[in-house]
Amino acid sequence: MSVSIRDAGQEQLIVATGLYKSFGGEPILLDVGVEVFRGRILGIIGPGGVGKSLLMKMLAGLVEPDAGDVTVLGQSLQSLNASGLARVRDRMGFLFQNYALFDFMDVGQNIAFPLEQMGVPKAEITRRVAERLAEVELPGIERLFPNELAGGLKKRVALARATIAGAPILLYDDPTAGLDPVTSSKIFELIRRLHRPDGATVIVGHDIDRMVAVCDEWLLLHEGAVLFRGTTEEGRASSHEVLKTFFMETGMLGAAA
Amino acid sequence: MTRVVRALGTHTLGLLELLGAMALLQLRITRALFPPRYDARETWRAFYKVGVKSYPIVIMTALFTGAIMVIQSGHFVAKSGATSFVGWAAGFAVLAEIGPILIGLMFSGRVGANNTAELGTMVVTEQVDALRALAIEPIHYLAVPRFLAMIVMLFLLTALGDLFALIGGAITADLMVDIPMKVFLRQVFDAQLLDEYLLGLLKGSFFGMAIAVVSCHYGLTVRGGATGVGRAVNAAVVAAAIAIFVADFFVGVVWTVLSK
Repeated sequence: MSVSIRDAGQEQLIVATGLYKSFGGEPILLDVGVEVFRGRILGIIGPGGVGKSLLMKMLAGLVEPDAGDVTVLGQSLQSLNASGLARVRDRMGFLFQNYALFDFMDVGQNIAFPLEQMGVPKAEITRRVAERLAEVELPGIERLFPNELAGGLKKRVALARATIAGAPILLYDDPTAGLDPVTSSKIFELIRRLHRPDGATVIVGHDIDRMVAVCDEWLLLHEGAVLFRGTTEEGRASSHEVLKTFFMETGMLGAAA
Repeated sequence: MTRVVRALGTHTLGLLELLGAMALLQLRITRALFPPRYDARETWRAFYKVGVKSYPIVIMTALFTGAIMVIQSGHFVAKSGATSFVGWAAGFAVLAEIGPILIGLMFSGRVGANNTAELGTMVVTEQVDALRALAIEPIHYLAVPRFLAMIVMLFLLTALGDLFALIGGAITADLMVDIPMKVFLRQVFDAQLLDEYLLGLLKGSFFGMAIAVVSCHYGLTVRGGATGVGRAVNAAVVAAAIAIFVADFFVGVVWTVLSK
């Protein structure tokens, strides 16, 4: 099911329709549709194991759906070859749930990597890496390796790498999983700061209390389908039983009270 | 009976699928070689890991390979009185056959297994997905440097191994078969084994290619976390050993046909 709450005139940067995916005959996503509009921050929520991360990877073209289509910046990912896909991904940043930092590179090299691949001059790379590390409050750790960092620090380094190229579309897969409340708040603050008004941001997460302060729109996945899509206010006003239960347990409804 | 045929069919299809996947990977790597767009740092890292870190184990293997060849041929020629053939026999066996094969197997155990484990870990920790998310094609960035490094370095390591195998043979001939080192080395040079030497080097390059494709294939197709990585490494070592013997056979056959 695909539910749109936008006017036809508003520009969609990501459109996914009829996404279906199964593993070993077990369907995970059933006819899922997603629209992400320019300038908006979409929060994808739902119970664990419902396929949120899988959906996120499909939006980035990292997992191919069994059926359905994903269009990013007007280009259908399914119809692109490797170089076409790379051109689209140049305009996206992706934060992985488990960091996915390159363990054979130090922190500085990890963050610099996207810029190096774009051919940015070395001096500028050094400057931008130092700036971005300062922004994630980790100045001067360029020479450390990922295995020397705690989970929260790895997450911030991964965030720095995902966003250093200044891509207009940013996808964050559970950016605060396993982090303490203080670090989580800082991460969401950073996500809000790095969001480009001319771009779009998608966040998969469970930390709804903090996501409320950042997300404009929500998409609730339930049993492989989109159960709700709308603004925070629409979510709070909804009388749908599953939605109410989900939001109440996560404190979203409480925030409205 | 039906079960046997079904099992046979399933295994045959599985084997064909595996060979097809490896052929496809080989094709993708070959395509990625042109035009050359290698990441300099990753290529250097691959050459260093594959070559520089392998030479001690290759030297050790080669020294004992040469020694074993002399011991085996030494007793035979001593009985027949044909001691002037020790250098030829040991040199021929080491340069054309035993040297490249044993060095290839050792290389596969060290470098191939390590490569599968490294790539497999990158897959299960989403580092390969991270490369793709950063618009980097994993074949270009990961497989091509390893492919080049294994071909070039196994060629060079075979050349180095041949030298140390002859040194090992010469020392053993002196100590255990009563043939002075100088005489043994003279016998090797007089035997005019340049063809065998070149055949051995060619085999080394093909073994490097086979090990690279097999280890990259198993590494990049890992499923199932840490257990999956273990299974992939195991499968890669077995498959690479088989690939070495198959490549040895075909290179030998083609060389023999072309030499006629």
